[in-house]
Amino acid sequence: MLDRPVADPATAPAKSAWTGFVRFLHITPRAFLPMRSVPTVTLMAGKGIEGDRYMIGREEGFYSHKPEEGRQVTLFELETLVALKRDARIELGPAEHRRNVTVEGVPLNHLVDRRFWLGETLLEATRLSIPCRHIEEITGKAIFDPLINRSGLNCRILKGGVVKVGDVVRNDT
Amino acid sequence: MTAPPITTVKTVVDAIEHGGPGIKVFTLVDPDRWELPPFKPGAHIDLHLPGGLVRTYSLCNDPGDGTRYVIAVKREAGGRGGSMALHDKIVTGDVIGVSLPRGGFDADENIRRYVFVAGGIGVTPYLSIAAYLSRIGHPDFTVHAVARDRMPLECLLAPLIEQERIVLHRTSKTGRPDIGALLGQAASGTAAGCCGPEGMILDFERATADWPGDRVHVERFVAPRLAVDPGARPYTIALARSGAELPVRAGQSMLAALQEFGIAVPTSCCGGICGACKVGWLEGRPVHRDRVLSPYERQRYLMVCVAGADSGRLVLDL
Repeated sequence: MLDRPVADPATAPAKSAWTGFVRFLHITPRAFLPMRSVPTVTLMAGKGIEGDRYMIGREEGFYSHKPEEGRQVTLFELETLVALKRDARIELGPAEHRRNVTVEGVPLNHLVDRRFWLGETLLEATRLSIPCRHIEEITGKAIFDPLINRSGLNCRILKGGVVKVGDVVRNDT
Repeated sequence: MTAPPITTVKTVVDAIEHGGPGIKVFTLVDPDRWELPPFKPGAHIDLHLPGGLVRTYSLCNDPGDGTRYVIAVKREAGGRGGSMALHDKIVTGDVIGVSLPRGGFDADENIRRYVFVAGGIGVTPYLSIAAYLSRIGHPDFTVHAVARDRMPLECLLAPLIEQERIVLHRTSKTGRPDIGALLGQAASGTAAGCCGPEGMILDFERATADWPGDRVHVERFVAPRLAVDPGARPYTIALARSGAELPVRAGQSMLAALQEFGIAVPTSCCGGICGACKVGWLEGRPVHRDRVLSPYERQRYLMVCVAGADSGRLVLDL
């Protein structure tokens, strides 16, 4: 029944009620390889992250055989890692969830179809990420079920730039 | 055109070195020298070789060495072709897909003494384990390396010989060692492992028959042949995800039946020791013949290369 927000997103007062931060940045050049923590990443509008396996044209990710224009950069909530430890007693590090950007204070599940700023870059959220057995295979941790509905966010890059750890994340008002 | 799925870790052969008579040591790295997926001491990987061959080899470097996979391969002219492909066809710079590392050794702070017995090229997993134990400063571990005359992989053994962690036994001079005497008495806080030819493993298993099962570990070169079961009966496999049902003939392996039906299951050793073909089972009574699953895992998984069924119908999570 609810196929769109009850309130008009353009006028809803809660729209800018959050401000978050970039806590970790990770990339990897190929499927299966460990994610490497980096202090900055360069986002290319319409393409992806320089050096990452899902950069459009590179196609070296585990899911690259399923092309997705809206998977140029992926985000994950730091709060989910805390919840996994608290609720499921699973220690999952920010390098292990295999999304690129770990943010704190950003309600990712609320941002599908919205635009928001990640530092100086502008993103548009395309869909929620879904958990996958591939991450269980790599980490050896049973995180599939606990990550259902909180596995992060897929985004396309509308305005590129350099994103740094510590950058502010905010709505596009 | 859509690219095919990526199912292996892409590596490049960075170096091929002589490891003794008939042995080559291959160093595999990421094309960009990125970190490779981590591994436990004594873990193994599958190499996906030209011609569709998939072969399993122990990693013999320290797991702390995060950017290299090092394997030592003895050329076996009478083998199944994997070692010959590596020796005769693979050159530096070739790309080889490998599996994620599997198996290996979990450090246990309650183990005060480790003793390992290795026959010939079977020393490879203990090179990795010994390098790890040495790095963490474990005070008491010994690898007994047994060979007819010249010890394989002397170049890799040298640092451990210097540390007096490896005892060499040359059977041409001293005869076959008494494995029970090498191991000593079973004691709490002692763990033992063996990798070598079947005769050595049988001696080891006899010597450790009274040891606690979780303190003993065996690695085999090749899967032991399954005894033919004269009472084998046909049964049916049901595939839970597709709803398909397929017959397994009396004496036929579950893997062969799946492959006849066009179901691709990753395989390597085909003898129940490598762990590549683990599949979940949901209903029925499987007969486990593998050497890799724990009792707990057997409640949910089986190895299709060797498992059978003690019920007329077995439902797999495929």
